[in-house]
Amino acid sequence: MLEKEKRFTLGYDELEGNDFNLVGKKNANLGEMLKAGIPISPGFAVTVHANDQYLIMTGIKEKISSLINPPNAQVPLEKAQEASKIAMELIESAEMPAVIGDVILSDYHKMCEKYGNNLPVAVRSSGAASMPGQMETYLNICGDKDLIDYVKKCWSSAYNTEAIMYRMNKGMEFLFNIGAGIPKMVNSRVSGIIFTINPINGDMSKISIDASYGLGEAVVSGLVTPDTYLIDKITLDIIKIIKGSKEIQCVYRENASDIVQTEVPEEKRRVNCLSMEEVKELARVGKLIEKYYGKAYDIEFGVDADIPFPHNIIILQVRPESVWSKKEVAPKTEVAKDPMERLLGVMLTGVKLK
Amino acid sequence: MANKFMDPHDVPTIPGTEGWERMYPYQYPFSKDDPERAAFESSQIWFYDGLHYPIPHYPFDLIWDEAWSMALSQYNTRHWLIPPALGIDHRIVNGYVYISPVGVPDPEEIGKRVPLFMERAGFYFQNWDGLYENWKKKMGVVIDKLEAMNFTDLPVMEDISIIKEGIGIGSGYKLLKAWDELIDIGLLCWQYHFEFLNLAYAAQVTFFATGDQLFPGIPIATLVKMSAGFDPILFKPDAELIRLAKFAIQLGIDDTFMKPLKADELMKELAQHATGKEWLAELEKARYPWFHISTGTGWFHTETSWNDNLNVPFNAIKTNIRTLKEGKEIGRPTAQILEERDRIATEYRALLKTDADRDAFDQGLGLARLVLPYAEDHNFYVEHWFHTLFWQKTRQVSEILQRAGFFKEAGDMYFLKRNEIKDALWDMVTGWTTGVKSRGPSYWPKEVAWRKEVYKKFTEWTPPAALGTPPDVVTEPFTIVLWGVTNSTLTSWLSGGEAGATAANEIQGSPGSSGVVQGKARVLNNPDQLADLQKGEILVCKTTSPSWAPCFVTIAGAITDVGGPMCHAAIVCREYGLPTVVGTGKGTQLIKTGDLIKMDGDTGLVTILERA
Repeated sequence: MLEKEKRFTLGYDELEGNDFNLVGKKNANLGEMLKAGIPISPGFAVTVHANDQYLIMTGIKEKISSLINPPNAQVPLEKAQEASKIAMELIESAEMPAVIGDVILSDYHKMCEKYGNNLPVAVRSSGAASMPGQMETYLNICGDKDLIDYVKKCWSSAYNTEAIMYRMNKGMEFLFNIGAGIPKMVNSRVSGIIFTINPINGDMSKISIDASYGLGEAVVSGLVTPDTYLIDKITLDIIKIIKGSKEIQCVYRENASDIVQTEVPEEKRRVNCLSMEEVKELARVGKLIEKYYGKAYDIEFGVDADIPFPHNIIILQVRPESVWSKKEVAPKTEVAKDPMERLLGVMLTGVKLK
Repeated sequence: MANKFMDPHDVPTIPGTEGWERMYPYQYPFSKDDPERAAFESSQIWFYDGLHYPIPHYPFDLIWDEAWSMALSQYNTRHWLIPPALGIDHRIVNGYVYISPVGVPDPEEIGKRVPLFMERAGFYFQNWDGLYENWKKKMGVVIDKLEAMNFTDLPVMEDISIIKEGIGIGSGYKLLKAWDELIDIGLLCWQYHFEFLNLAYAAQVTFFATGDQLFPGIPIATLVKMSAGFDPILFKPDAELIRLAKFAIQLGIDDTFMKPLKADELMKELAQHATGKEWLAELEKARYPWFHISTGTGWFHTETSWNDNLNVPFNAIKTNIRTLKEGKEIGRPTAQILEERDRIATEYRALLKTDADRDAFDQGLGLARLVLPYAEDHNFYVEHWFHTLFWQKTRQVSEILQRAGFFKEAGDMYFLKRNEIKDALWDMVTGWTTGVKSRGPSYWPKEVAWRKEVYKKFTEWTPPAALGTPPDVVTEPFTIVLWGVTNSTLTSWLSGGEAGATAANEIQGSPGSSGVVQGKARVLNNPDQLADLQKGEILVCKTTSPSWAPCFVTIAGAITDVGGPMCHAAIVCREYGLPTVVGTGKGTQLIKTGDLIKMDGDTGLVTILERA
């Protein structure tokens, strides 16, 4: 096997955090999460090197790099728009050299063998430098032809006007090769949010999971009342389940990337959308993420319908919890000088019955 | 939902039992002859103590209720001066005992009790381990003294040694004195029973309250896990059965145990071979004291011990041998439990952000760990070891009276109040001294026959879970920990009492040990029926005791009618990792053997999915 630097694709399981130069930050970070035991959607990265070789083999590298001169100049908007149009056109219309295309498709076919023919995947841009939200991510891409076309589109998105302006204003090079991530689209039977605290009262000893059928949009945007599961973070015992009404679910329309809402059948509304073992596994993963990052986290997850338990639990996005983590923590108990004084306090309070 | 239970004075007498009150001490029934006492009775909450008494009381067996009524209460009220709590009052209705925590009504009085409580209870907490060691010695003395007692028939004439040694005391006097001593030692043992228990429960309640403040909604089961994991004596008998099973396999005589033999036949066969003899010698070592385990809770004379009926431990040994030979590990993984308890406590503590909260946690947990060994071990000393011997001695007395014609059948004596037994013995002794026929043989059989009829009618009656008026606050530690009386239990009892038919397929109890399972129910009334239990079934019973130990390797979960998070079933199931729902009130009545049920040890909900 070639050394990492020469490869056109790298599996997520081959990546670690300091590979960001090879595959971009997003991909490297996913590899790091996987190493930490955090389950992510299976997939692979198309390397920065692949992008570079594509430009070289198709003979368009020279043309693109000469679009802006000097290569790290401040440019006016019109100039950027003009360069963007030409660069994107060049990248999208060139033919994928077989040596690169075959490697990408071979990795894709391996995923198809495992999870189904014509497997829907995402194509996610992943730059080695932070370019927040500048480049494109394409969802629900199926089949060889589309995959290759969207990898090219993903590469070309590094040359959209906003991306060019951003780079030029930061004094970065005009030529910008990026990585692409190709994860399996999560076919969410259920999705939702894990809080590694009790969001109601900030209690650090609980994990709270909101979950409902279909894609996460239904829960995130508050379209449905999800099931709420409260779990003891230390023992992973399920302490409380509040069943939600879950009338609606969001799903992908077939062979397209837009989302539609459908009704949840009556009998599915009445039962918990997660099995108890799924709840425990989600809580375990939430705890793992909190431990890995060292603070409370807010985590989006999907439960994949195509993969058997426990690998069906897939983490889609993580971000630090922001409400309780910022609050000053006041003691919850009264100060007592010794255990006897505390015991007396409890004796005097008793248990309220009404 | 009603906010009161039935007034205790309004409970109807069961037809045909009129006059039942004379079977019990006169102060036990609810009464209206003193308006002040009657008003007090109506204003209190009275819980049916099904945890200890799943059946109606035999008049003599009420002795233990009287004993703890006195001992528990005296420690609250006169020893420690628990500031807001007096004792627990007792009444009897149609043979069933109801109890009521009594508060200190005057806030000023509560304040005055505080420094007294701090000094007195503080002394015990500070010197806990030493006092507890001393306690074990005192219990040893009591048990030795009881063991040495022996009741025999009155002789036709006194032995010549009485004459020649100038003793000057008669056998009749000695018998009466010995009876007094037996009763006295029983009451003494129950004085010791509560020497630490109120404080132990107060410490646990404190830790539970602190835990809930720090981690709202933390299950009590989890808090108990942080203090459990030591090696309680209560698990020793079961451990001995496992040891004996392993020893039999090691000696290569395990096949002998698989023969369909009764315990005595099996022992005879083992005695014929050297290896068998070796095993029997180990058995004898284990029997004293570890087989002084009651096959029930130890509260009733009808319950025999493993030593009284060796078939019970032998069946368990057989099950253990079979399980071991299937290659399975049995027994409590003590090291693992200890590791788990420390992990849980450390992780919880690490979540605390302030010194004040860490102090509160450490103080609460420290006390809980200090007291838990006593809280669990005293049960073996008193209810099992002592009671087993005590019942054996009373059986001797009962047989003497029966041979003297006072009773028709074995066990009739227990239909007499304890003071009446003294009267009967006096009657027998004076008949013997004078050489005239006693009145007993013509008096007691008739009275006992009537009492037996009444008793039978009591068993057919279902006592309500509670009577009277719920209070705003319960401060009595036992009421909270042992009987599991909380806001939600009371609410569910109240709603169940009013409209029990709302959701007949759902029964709400308290979470005892976490986990969810589904399976066929097996309703058992006593551990003799354990043989019926099939692998993977869910045990449904009134309450469990150490005699139920063999079943925990077989069942998928347990549901009890009575008990809180500290009851036996909950403790054992937590140790064995089985889900438990406790305190369902009437699980044994609503669930039938063979029903497909689902139980949730995290929420306390039991659902009947399919009727048998």
